Amino acid sequence: MSELQEYLEDVMNAIIEGDADWAREACTEALEKEVDPLQILNDGLMAGADVVGQKFESGEFFLPQLMLTGRALKAAMAVIEPRLQSIYAENEDLKGDTGVVVMATVKTDIHDIGKNIVASMLTASGFTVHDLGVDVPIKSIIAKAQEVDANIIGCSALLTTSMPFMRDLVNLLEAMGERARFKVMVGGASVTPEFAEKIGADGTAPNAVKAVQLAQQLIRNQRAEKEAGT
Amino acid sequence: MGIRVEVEGGSRLRQAAQRAGVSIDSICGERATCGKCRIVVQEGEFPRENLRSSRDHLAPPGPAEHSYWKKRKKGLQAQGEDPEAYRLSCQAEVCGDLVVMVPETSRAAHQIVRKAAGERSIQIRPIQRKIYVELPAPTLADPQADWERLVRHLRLAEPLTRGPNDFRVDFEALTIDLPALRQLQATVRAGDGKVTVTIRDGREVLRVEPGFSEVLAGLAVDIGTTSIVAHLSDLRSGELLATADTMNPQIRFGEDIMSRMAFANDHEDGFKQLHTALLESLNRLARRAARQAGMKAGQITELVIVGNPVMTQFLLGIHTAELGRAPYVPAVHAGLDVRARDVGLSAVHPGAYIHLLPISASFIGGDAMGVLLAEAPHDQDEIWLLVDVGTNAELVLGSRERLVCTSTPTGPAFEGAHIEYGMRAAEGAIERVRVEPDTRAAQYRVVGSELWSGDPGAPAARGICGTGIIEAIAEMVRTGLVRPDGRFNLDLPSPNWRTEGDMHRFVLASGGENPAGIEIPITQEDVRQIQLAKAPLYVAARYLLERLEIDRPDRILLAGGFGSHIDPEKAMLIGMIPDCPLDRVRPVGNAAGDGARIALLNRDKRAEAAELAARLERIELPAQAGFQDQFTLALHFPHMLDPYPSLGDRVPPRTVDPMVARLFGDRIPTFGAQKPGTEATPDQATTPE
Repeated sequence: MSELQEYLEDVMNAIIEGDADWAREACTEALEKEVDPLQILNDGLMAGADVVGQKFESGEFFLPQLMLTGRALKAAMAVIEPRLQSIYAENEDLKGDTGVVVMATVKTDIHDIGKNIVASMLTASGFTVHDLGVDVPIKSIIAKAQEVDANIIGCSALLTTSMPFMRDLVNLLEAMGERARFKVMVGGASVTPEFAEKIGADGTAPNAVKAVQLAQQLIRNQRAEKEAGT
Repeated sequence: MGIRVEVEGGSRLRQAAQRAGVSIDSICGERATCGKCRIVVQEGEFPRENLRSSRDHLAPPGPAEHSYWKKRKKGLQAQGEDPEAYRLSCQAEVCGDLVVMVPETSRAAHQIVRKAAGERSIQIRPIQRKIYVELPAPTLADPQADWERLVRHLRLAEPLTRGPNDFRVDFEALTIDLPALRQLQATVRAGDGKVTVTIRDGREVLRVEPGFSEVLAGLAVDIGTTSIVAHLSDLRSGELLATADTMNPQIRFGEDIMSRMAFANDHEDGFKQLHTALLESLNRLARRAARQAGMKAGQITELVIVGNPVMTQFLLGIHTAELGRAPYVPAVHAGLDVRARDVGLSAVHPGAYIHLLPISASFIGGDAMGVLLAEAPHDQDEIWLLVDVGTNAELVLGSRERLVCTSTPTGPAFEGAHIEYGMRAAEGAIERVRVEPDTRAAQYRVVGSELWSGDPGAPAARGICGTGIIEAIAEMVRTGLVRPDGRFNLDLPSPNWRTEGDMHRFVLASGGENPAGIEIPITQEDVRQIQLAKAPLYVAARYLLERLEIDRPDRILLAGGFGSHIDPEKAMLIGMIPDCPLDRVRPVGNAAGDGARIALLNRDKRAEAAELAARLERIELPAQAGFQDQFTLALHFPHMLDPYPSLGDRVPPRTVDPMVARLFGDRIPTFGAQKPGTEATPDQATTPE
């Protein structure tokens, strides 16, 4: 195994183990050895997150491991982010599949454990997340998305009775002529892919790891649409 | 009973007894009509009292009493009774020494004993009374109106018929319900002036019947999300006349209350459909209960209905939209008296009232209030924890000093939803599971059978109910097949493991051995669902315990249909409930229904419920700091840190997971550890290095 591979594997394992201290050290070391920050991001951090996602799917990992991985990702990002920013400043195209996300638990619902995990995983994966909290009116969510020029609006509802507000959000975006500007992700224990499709959202994910993958996919789609449009 | 009294010769026996402090029943106001005052004279020498008692020491029956017994002679003989043994105490005149036995049925103050829970007795203090009166026919010389004539005679009969537990009629305030007034003149004439009047709460005449009638029937109903149970009772004696139950017909609109509220919001007429389905079902249930007791539902004049706030609003026809969204506000908190006919409950008497117990918080409804009335933690010195588990769990902790409560959604996993062969606890559902510790082989038992799987003739398993899932997972935790963190421990062999690729199942019933031919497995995902459902329940209990600054409750009562079937040890093994000596954890069955019956039979209990509702301190969980941390810790079986001394070695040894240290660092959240003056027990919450 090459030395480069070893550094990347070290980062990946730190993420899988959910060890923030180790992740911080592994990233610092890799940067000192002049490993490409983009490679650390993709083949270290994201590769680790993928493994965690698979383990979560198979039932081997559960919420505590996801939370730990979220923290480890965050610690690692803190180390490599300044370097990434300077790379992005030179070449926008290298920015990869990240963007700005506005997240909230919709009006009439106050449950947020799932939303918080998704928010921390997105942050950890390089997204800029504006978390508006719980019981947030849909108008406020849209206003914030406009203000920060978000790529994605992510909204969540645990209660079946609160789910219609996610439909209202999509409809209001349509009415405002802003639907094409934002991608909409919906989530919550009772949300199904059928529901997401029915209300005209852009997607939903069954867990936090999948949610990050979905967000990345939506960013890619958005970029492709913009290119096709211009 | 040994109560002695000396009276003047010629006194009527009932009045003599009254003077001695013994209340004997009467509906007819001493007119030898109702027979409620019958007593038995003991014959023979009573040396301790130094007297000889004989039937001859009562004056012979007058014409009224003679006619009463004449009609019943054959009936009594048919029942093997001696008609000569009885006398009507309202008529019989004392003319010598007597030893008199007052049968239980003739005592004016009734009480019944609830056998199910702690042998507590219920005082019968009904909210309705029946009074029989005989009105002289009006004449041109006495043309008083029928109502005023009735009141005039009620005034005379009322004191004679009032037992010690009866209300006093407030004649200044007394009114009559319009449908009864419409019938009044015809009824009085049909009875030839003899009528029986039903009065509610001292102020209103609900019903006037021709002739003498003693039936005073009330219905206590518990509307659960899944099933509805109705108890028909004699309001005067407290006797249970019939019990009938049915599925909640709203199930076809959604399994849990949240999806039913969503249906009400999303469909035109959705709310109306849910309201109508419920009412139709209640009407049928009332008729069925009445038929079982050999009467008509139209005889029912008083109802107490309990249910969670959502069910209550569906019943009353108050839209549930506000209950379904934060801040989850019900239309009314107070206890209510409403007319059954206004609600649309048409099967019962047109004048009938429904009483609804108060709601103390959005999700602590009349049903939870019923549980409180039935179990009375507010009368205890000990601190009790009441847990009512369903799709939503309500918890109350406290004693006579203080009561705190909260509620939390648990999701439908406990009711078998989200699980492939999940079903309600109906026939054929797996409800008991045991795993043999040495071989780790699993056996199960289905609802309605005493046989374990593998026994000859054991019936087919058609699915698994919530209790079955909990039993299976608890047994797997106990034998190490499921690790404390919820993962399957595939290192331990068991004949029930099945593997396909990297998916593993613990198969309770295999297609080959199960006569139903289907395979019923526990999957890793099932375990995860139960973890997500039980963690908030535990956290809710811990927050309440913390509020009262105690480590564990003195007693735990498990209420609700689900709670009454669950094995306390299993519930504790998976950490649904906090630690408590196992012999002090008790399922309380249908306590909400019992509470409804108590409020039906004892009007004072309605006021008590109102006081309780005002006293309950409500704690909102998501507002509490650290909920997410506590939730994470509570995902473990039975809990990541909290000790369970009551389980002894039944809970596998838990080492503090190194993951915990990393997740929480040096701020492992423990309840009570921050409290001044308390020391953590040695096995509790030590931060690993």
